[in-house]
Amino acid sequence: MRTSLNNIKAIEDHIFGYNTPGDVLVFEARMILSSGLRDEVQQQEKTYKVIRQYSRKQLKAEIAAVQEKLTTEPEHRGFMQHIINLFKKY
Amino acid sequence: MAEQIPLLKSPADREAFFIGLYKKAFPAVAHYVNRMGGTFDEAQDVFQDALVIYYEKVQASSICVSEKAYLLGIAKHLWSQAYKANSKNQPLEDTDMQAEQDEQPSTGKLMHYLETAGQKCMELLKAYYYDHLPVGDVATLFGYTGIRSATVAKYKCLEKVRDKVKQNSLSYADFVE
Repeated sequence: MRTSLNNIKAIEDHIFGYNTPGDVLVFEARMILSSGLRDEVQQQEKTYKVIRQYSRKQLKAEIAAVQEKLTTEPEHRGFMQHIINLFKKY
Repeated sequence: MAEQIPLLKSPADREAFFIGLYKKAFPAVAHYVNRMGGTFDEAQDVFQDALVIYYEKVQASSICVSEKAYLLGIAKHLWSQAYKANSKNQPLEDTDMQAEQDEQPSTGKLMHYLETAGQKCMELLKAYYYDHLPVGDVATLFGYTGIRSATVAKYKCLEKVRDKVKQNSLSYADFVE
């Protein structure tokens, strides 16, 4: 892998705690010496949060599609109708 | 009773998984919400959020629990958070899960870019970091020749998205200054 990708992997190993205690010390020393590395670590942490935000959005859309399927498709409609009936006030 | 969680590799796998969960647990959640004075729509909202939380738990830790009991437990918690006392109109967005989401740094513009131009990368990263699929399965799913090329692709995508996130932070900083 090219150097920039190896750096990304090194930052990932640090963020996710995959490093050995010795590697942790070396990485922390590098962070003290390099403000650029500190910034990269911060940006990469944000990136994992963005990935989770994106993924949740996609998952919610998949779940909404399942709900729609259960409401509209004939093979499931009885199941959903039974639940809707629970909420009807007599 | 504890249940074995299947490996959910594709949208079709997830669809079958969620349909199964609806059939097993939604009636109990709906009964609960109904008993608490809620509506059908509120029951659906609570259940959808409970499914997201359950999915994240099982994918991250492969825990084996009773699906129905776990989902009902989460749904009760979400209900008490969002609809307790006289705040029935408070949306589910005020739950713990949303508080976690609120710390997300993405603006609408960045998310729109990632959902369009960056979608292929985001799907790959989602498979790794959110769905927690084994790297061999990710390689097969995305048509890579092997584990190594899939791993390199992951880091390339991570670099690309990180650059976008950085760009986004810079332009936001420019905007607020």
